[in-house]
Amino acid sequence: MSGEDGDPRNEALERRARELFEASASELDARTASRLARARAAALAELDSHRRPAWQWAAPVAVAASAALVAVLLTRAPDAPPAPIAASDAAAGIEALELLAAGDDLDLAAEDPEFYAWLELAALDDPDGQG
Amino acid sequence: MDESNPVACPVTLGIVAPAPAVSTCRAPSEEACLEAPLTLDRFLAGVERRAFRLAEIALRDRDEALDVVQGAMLRLVRSYGRRPSEEWPPLFHRILLNGIRDAQRRRSVRSRLFGFLPQHRDDQRDDDTDLVERIPDGGPDPERRLMAGQAMQRLETALGELPPRQQEAFLLRCLQGMDVAEAAEAMGCSEGSVKTHYFRALQSLRAKLEEVW
Repeated sequence: MSGEDGDPRNEALERRARELFEASASELDARTASRLARARAAALAELDSHRRPAWQWAAPVAVAASAALVAVLLTRAPDAPPAPIAASDAAAGIEALELLAAGDDLDLAAEDPEFYAWLELAALDDPDGQG
Repeated sequence: MDESNPVACPVTLGIVAPAPAVSTCRAPSEEACLEAPLTLDRFLAGVERRAFRLAEIALRDRDEALDVVQGAMLRLVRSYGRRPSEEWPPLFHRILLNGIRDAQRRRSVRSRLFGFLPQHRDDQRDDDTDLVERIPDGGPDPERRLMAGQAMQRLETALGELPPRQQEAFLLRCLQGMDVAEAAEAMGCSEGSVKTHYFRALQSLRAKLEEVW
């Protein structure tokens, strides 16, 4: 730091200014030094509040997970009976099964084609079905 | 922050010359202190007094200077506390300089808005009170300290009359001990600008102080 030009007058000024500055910085009055120390402590306390230990994060997470598990278990009762089937639906299903199981009625067209031909002609002769 | 029985140890901060008796730590011995890694606490303890004096010289207001230094500490801790310790000095001084500029800007706006009111005039500083307060507590040679205090007062007055950029260049280059590149980074300008501002600051200060120093 020579004043960039090597001028001894500049160097003397720099040296004197630096000495005075160092003295004023190192010999601060107690009140100001104390306020600075408190400011530093406050800043570092901020860092500590951000730097929480792992267990402090794990504890709330564990509590939340436990609560969620309990909630799921309570809402899903294991002995709940299945919903009843309506009686009419059950009867219709049984009739359909009987028809399918019988089998013989489904082969009428193959066994007696004349009957179906007559049925068709009768329908043409009397379209209103009144005769 | 118990400072009742600290072990003084110098902290080398890279861009700042080792500061005598400005750093404290609670290590059992000075050797142990020097071997310990640079923590944020030690770093801030090592720079806080100089930072405060820089802010006070630039702002010419003790309370405002304390606010700026505290703000810079908080900002460093919050935003850059986890960065490698080598990055702290330039970051801190950049934050500090920005804080000083913001305070000067606010003061300038206040002065423009309320300058006509006598109670808001910034040049009404109680210099006599400050000078007495600045005398350090205790010490073997109060007369020498008082003379040094008066010389420092003249330097501060002369610095206060410099344009802001010249003032910053002088504070960082001469008083804070930064090299040109570090000062340029903190000021956010080119190295050439720093050299120019610094040279002009030296010329102005010499013209004002050579007679009285």
